[in-house]
Amino acid sequence: MKKFEYLKPDSIKETISILSQFGEKAQILNGGTDLIVEMRDKVVQPEYVVDIKAIPGIDKITYSEQDGLHIGATVTLNEVSDSKIVQEHYPILAEACKTVGSYQVRNRATLVGNICNASPAADTAPPLLVLEAKVNIVGSDGEKTILLNQFFVGVKKNILKRGEIVTSVTVPHVEDEWTGVYLKQGRRKDVDLATVGVAVVCIRDEIRIALGAVAPTPVRAFKTEALLRGKTIDESILEKAGKSALTEVSPISDVRSSQEYREEIIKVLVRRAILQVKGVCNA
Amino acid sequence: MKHKICFTINREVKEVEVEPNKTLLKMLREDLDLIGAKEGCGAGECGACTVLVDNEPVNSCLMLAVEVDEKEILTIEGLSDGINLDSIQESFLKHNAIQCGYCTPGMVMSAKALLSRNPHPTEEVVKEALAGNLCRCTGYQRIINAVLDVAKKGGKK
Repeated sequence: MKKFEYLKPDSIKETISILSQFGEKAQILNGGTDLIVEMRDKVVQPEYVVDIKAIPGIDKITYSEQDGLHIGATVTLNEVSDSKIVQEHYPILAEACKTVGSYQVRNRATLVGNICNASPAADTAPPLLVLEAKVNIVGSDGEKTILLNQFFVGVKKNILKRGEIVTSVTVPHVEDEWTGVYLKQGRRKDVDLATVGVAVVCIRDEIRIALGAVAPTPVRAFKTEALLRGKTIDESILEKAGKSALTEVSPISDVRSSQEYREEIIKVLVRRAILQVKGVCNA
Repeated sequence: MKHKICFTINREVKEVEVEPNKTLLKMLREDLDLIGAKEGCGAGECGACTVLVDNEPVNSCLMLAVEVDEKEILTIEGLSDGINLDSIQESFLKHNAIQCGYCTPGMVMSAKALLSRNPHPTEEVVKEALAGNLCRCTGYQRIINAVLDVAKKGGKK
């Protein structure tokens, strides 16, 4: 690992000032489970590593019907999946967090880090997309909130500009009865990246679908959602939904899977997830 | 620039100066002569470097040494009291849960953390807790049996 200077600011203000000053020479260190591997492999070689874990106030999970669920930047994936609040109100999110890496990794890795890393295969992204989560960003110009859907801009690229930091993710409260599932296909059951990840929620009669690991970014399948609107779920519409989902993504062949296999699995998982949220679990 | 950090390791307070680009694993093995934790993959896949930081299992290859400032670390070397082995170590011996031994320190530390947070896990829960520890001799069943046996006997220590 190349030498760098380690900085541990204790306020957001100081963090922003460091990030603004050093720009691309600086990297934020949160859980470190991606960054440290990349530094070891010399994929990234920052001159300044900015540890944000001493910043107060960004290490909490809060929830209210009015404000929804609020997950601070340094909250680990195990803290999310072990949270009674998350288990009760957003079980799909608790489940998705548990599919990332190993128990040891989830003790360090954070949900906000998973999002900021912007991997197409980020397991927390599809559930957060269907729940229409928002990303809270602070920079030298002040605070702003954007939809997660607009946060990803390419493979491992997010919308953050120099000097900006994500302080939390907000998941809106869902008024109506709803169910959701996150289905992940990997090469093995645990400790693997998703070959395909599919999140589906059903809120009242509205079905929302998001897919991971099948495009440069995690994506919402808006066209497929529109196709399903007001329809009775039967074999014919399920087949159409699977085919429609394929038109909204651009899977590639890589070490984990061929493009053809991904295309097949997308259809299978979209169908299975829709049936599961609709309460027909014999998929 | 070296950073001065202070932490507790195996119940002993230590103050050291460390380069920021050194991982916790490297510091344990190279500076503190604690060579129980191993480097298998160096990327958080194999769990051979598992140690406990504030009672939680982490991959020490994925943590910088500077990050353990003011923290409490427990490694495989700190499990026995010098005379008696920990009940998990005893159980691994009894069940022949060790072949080449490379994964063993990590396995034992993951099991230790599991039994502290859940003294009576089911087999499924044991498998989930050890999912991040690879054994290439594939002795998994004996390892799982060893952990379950400790749980059956009270899961203490």
